[in-house]
Amino acid sequence: MGSAFTPFGALTLVTAAIAATILLHHLLFRPKLTPGVRMRLLLGLAVFPFVAAVASTGSGMVRTTEPTFCGSCHVMETHLQDLQDPKSTSLASRHSRSHIIGPTACYTCHADYGMLGYPLTKLTGMMHVYHYYLGGFRSWSLEKFHAEIRTAKPYPNQNCQQCHSGTLASFLNVKEHVSLADELAQNKVSCASAGCHGVAHPFSKTKEELSR
Amino acid sequence: MMTRLLRLLARWPTERMLRIACVLGLFALALMVTGVLLGTPLPVVGAMSVAQGFGVLACLLFGLSIAADVASRRP
Repeated sequence: MGSAFTPFGALTLVTAAIAATILLHHLLFRPKLTPGVRMRLLLGLAVFPFVAAVASTGSGMVRTTEPTFCGSCHVMETHLQDLQDPKSTSLASRHSRSHIIGPTACYTCHADYGMLGYPLTKLTGMMHVYHYYLGGFRSWSLEKFHAEIRTAKPYPNQNCQQCHSGTLASFLNVKEHVSLADELAQNKVSCASAGCHGVAHPFSKTKEELSR
Repeated sequence: MMTRLLRLLARWPTERMLRIACVLGLFALALMVTGVLLGTPLPVVGAMSVAQGFGVLACLLFGLSIAADVASRRP
């Protein structure tokens, strides 16, 4: 049901309904252009649509952070199923069971850190939409997708460290963290590698890739 | 310059342009509502881009039509 029951979604629906009523009334009854009609058209063509546009943008921004949005493309179905599986032990699934991360699990982990993280992540998401609808991914089978598609760049460890601070004792008390500090900082070793905390999604790498 | 602009606006087909603005506005609102109700990638992207383009166009047509109406009523 999309985001109709969120505050932004509800505001979009209400303001759009009011504006549409005004516009339909004008189209059907064609009243003379009196100051009252001008004012009504100002509400129907500028004020209410402006509120609807702002609210629908807000609603869209919220919606695009939800895992069900990412999972609405068939190539992401298995990722979403694994995320929602309470028995799964994958890194992504375990993280999504946190009540803080869960509602926006894909976005929280995949959004880049920093001031431009939010808009850059949204732009990357737009590229995914482009590749899916115009780049041919829509017709790919899930098997082909799992076998051939990999992340565009290595997953940055800074994204993990948005929550898992590298300065706390709980992090520094782990020998491997200290001995690999430079490699972790330079992203030469991934937190989500098979020998460390495990791959995030169980099918994001083949057995051959994992054994390397 | 101002006189030319007023003369140009006086020829603007106000009623017709207002009706076009209403249709564009309705189309934009429909796209926004679809984006909210369906919540899948294409409708959401459409609501945040195409719908806003149509909405701005409708608003511009409305502004021009009102300006034209005012200009045509000038003595």
